[in-house]
Amino acid sequence: MTQVTLSGLTKIFDQKNPPAVDNLDLEIESGKLTALLGPSGCGKTTTMKMIAGLLRPTSGDILFDGDSILSIKPEERGAVMVFQNYLLFPYMTIADNIGFGLKMRKVNKKEIKSRVQDMLDLVQLPGFEERKPNQLSGGQQQRIALARALIVQPNVLLLDEPLSNLDAHLRDEMRVLIRRIQTEMGITTVFVTHDQEEAVVLADKVALLFDGRLQQFDAPDSFYDTPNTVEIATFFGGTNFIPGYYLDGTITTDIGVFDAPHSLVPEGNAVLSIRPEAVDLGEGGENSVSGTVLSHVYAGRYARFQIRIGDIEIEAVTEPGQVKLFADGDNIPVKFDPDKIWVLGTDTEKHPSAAYTG
Amino acid sequence: MNRFRLSERGAERLSISVLLAPAVAVIVLLFLGGLASGFLRSLNYFPLIGLNDFNFDAYFSIFTDNGFLQSLVLTFHIAFTSTLIASILAVASALLLRPAFRGKRIVHFFFSLNLTIPHLVGAIGVLYLFQNSGLVSRIMTGLDLIQRPADFPAMVFDPWAIGIIIQYVWKEIPFIGVIVLAILLSVGEDYESVARSLGANRWQAFRQVTLPLIMPGVVSASVIVFAFTFGAFEIPYLLGRTFPAALPVLAYQSYTDVDLAARPQAMAMAMVIAFISTLLIMAYMKLSRVYIRE
Ligand SMILES: Nc1ncnc2c1ncn2[C@@H]1O[C@H](COP(=O)(O)OP(=O)(O)O)[C@@H](O)[C@H]1O
Ligand SMILES: [Mg+2]
Repeated sequence: MTQVTLSGLTKIFDQKNPPAVDNLDLEIESGKLTALLGPSGCGKTTTMKMIAGLLRPTSGDILFDGDSILSIKPEERGAVMVFQNYLLFPYMTIADNIGFGLKMRKVNKKEIKSRVQDMLDLVQLPGFEERKPNQLSGGQQQRIALARALIVQPNVLLLDEPLSNLDAHLRDEMRVLIRRIQTEMGITTVFVTHDQEEAVVLADKVALLFDGRLQQFDAPDSFYDTPNTVEIATFFGGTNFIPGYYLDGTITTDIGVFDAPHSLVPEGNAVLSIRPEAVDLGEGGENSVSGTVLSHVYAGRYARFQIRIGDIEIEAVTEPGQVKLFADGDNIPVKFDPDKIWVLGTDTEKHPSAAYTG
Repeated sequence: MNRFRLSERGAERLSISVLLAPAVAVIVLLFLGGLASGFLRSLNYFPLIGLNDFNFDAYFSIFTDNGFLQSLVLTFHIAFTSTLIASILAVASALLLRPAFRGKRIVHFFFSLNLTIPHLVGAIGVLYLFQNSGLVSRIMTGLDLIQRPADFPAMVFDPWAIGIIIQYVWKEIPFIGVIVLAILLSVGEDYESVARSLGANRWQAFRQVTLPLIMPGVVSASVIVFAFTFGAFEIPYLLGRTFPAALPVLAYQSYTDVDLAARPQAMAMAMVIAFISTLLIMAYMKLSRVYIRE
C-alpha cells in the first residue's frame, strides 16, 4: 500500500489570518488507519484536501512512498476523499454514483455493473441500484459515498468526519463497517474526527491538531497515559492536575510530596497529572495523602468520587462496590500509584489557575 | 373539531383566492383576452372593420406565402443562434467569475451592468459600431486591414442577421450568466472536488458534474431568452433587413398595412409566433431534461 508523508505542510488562505495548517510533519503508515483529531476549524479538512490534490499547499511537501506528488493531478493521485456531507450526485442513480469513478476510467459497462453490485454488498445495501440519493437516509448515503470511493481501489482513503452527521446507533454500526473494510482491504486510511473517543476506538495512530499545528502523534492510549501537554490532557478529559515543583523523581505539591518516575520535564515547575481511574481510595502508605469525600455517584459499572485534599479537589473513579465503603464527609487515605503519575510541563499562560480538574 | 379545521382551511383558501384575484384578473383579461381576440381576428372575425364570417383564409395565405416561410426560418435562426451563443458564453463567464480573486466585486458589477441598459441602446450601439460606415469598419480601414469602409462585411441589415444576434448575445449573456453564477456559488465546488478525487479530469468533472447541476438554471434562463428573441420586435426592426423580415416585424408590417384585409393575416402570424415559441420551448425543455439524465 502507500505510505503518506507530510513534510512542513502549510496552508495560508489569507495573510491576515494565522495559517489554517501550520508546518505539519506527519508520517502516515502504510495500510494503517490514522485518525486526524482536533476541534472544529483546526485544519483537518484543509489537510485532507491538500493530500487529495484539491487544494494547493502554500509550502511544504506531500510524499507518497517517498515521492513528492505535488505536481500530480488529483485524478491521478490515487487518493480518494469522502466528504463529510456525502455529496452524492443528486441527479444520478445510486448505481451511477458508485460506478462514477470506473466510468471516468472508461471501464466497460458490464464490469461496472458487476463491481457496483459487489460494492453494494460490501456496504450492506444490496438492491439499491436504481434509487436516487434523496430517497436514502443519511446513514445509507454515507455508505454509498464510501462504496463510491472504494470501487476505484484507492491507495489512500481520506474520510472527512464520516460519522459526525449520523446518530449514535448508526455511528457505531458505521464505525464497525469502516474498521472491517479497512482491515480487509488494507488501505492506508486517514480518518478525520473531532471526537477523541471515536479517534481512540478506531485508529491505529492518532494525530492531534490544534490551530493547524500538530500537538501529538501517537498510539491512542498515549494520549491518556502520556499526553504532551496539559492542553492535550484536558482535551481528552477527566484528568486530575496538581501543580508542583519537580526534582529528582519526586514532585512537591501543596498537598504533599509524590514519587513520580515518569516525567516530561527534567526539573522545575511542573504539573502532576493522574487519571481518576488511577486514584486508589482507602489505601495508605507510600505516595498517599489524606482527603475528605465530598460527594459520590454510583453509575452501575463504576463509582465516581469527589475528594478534597487540602485546597484541591480531585476526582476518583473506582469499582462500584466502593460506594459501600466510604460515605460523604469521611476522611480517607488517597494513594497515587507512582507508575500512573505523569508529570507535565506547566502551561501557565493558558492555565493560570493554581489547581484544575480537566 | 374536524369540521372546524376544514372550515378554517376553507377560509384560508378563500382569502388566498381573494388576494390573488386582482393579479389573476389582469392576466386573464390582458393575456388570455388578448390571445382570444387575436385568435378570433385571425379567423377573419373582426366586426369593427366589417369582417364577420369565420374562415382560415389568413392561415392559408401566410403558409402558402414564401415570404412568410422565409421569415419563419430567419426568426428561428435569430432566436436559436442568439440563445445558444449567449448560453455558452454565459456559462463560460460564470465559471470564470466564480473563484475568489482581487477586485471580484467590481468585475461582477460591470458584468451585470448592461442588464439595466435598454435593448434599444444596445441596438444603437451595434449600428454605431458595426455598420459599413461604423466605428469598427473605419478603424479597420485606418489600420489598412480593409481598403474601404464598404469592404467591411455586412453585419447590419445583412441576410444572416449578425447585428441582431450580436445585440442579443451582448444583452443576454449577463442575464443568463448572473443566474448561472448564483447557482454555481450556492452549489459550491465540493461536488467537482469529489469527481476529481474519484478520477475525473477537469473536462469530465465539468461535463458530468458541474453542467448537470447548473443545467436546470441554464435551461430556465435560456428558455426565457429564446421566447423573447423569437417574439421581440424592436431589434430586428432596427437592425434587420426589410425582406425577409423577422416574424414580429412582418406581423407589424401587415397590421399597419393600408389594406385592412391584411389584418387577419397579421393576427394569424402573431398566433403562429405564439404557438411555435410555445412548442419550441416545450421541446427544448424536454430535450434538456433528457440531456441532464444522460
Ligand atoms: N476556502 C477557504 N478560504 C478561506 N479560509 C478557509 C477556507 N477553507 C477553510 N478555511 C479556514 O481554515 C481553517 C481550517 O478549516 P478546516 O480545514 O475546514 O477545519 P476543520 O476541517 O478542522 O474543521 C478555518 O479557520 C477555516 O475558516
Ligand atoms: Mg472539516
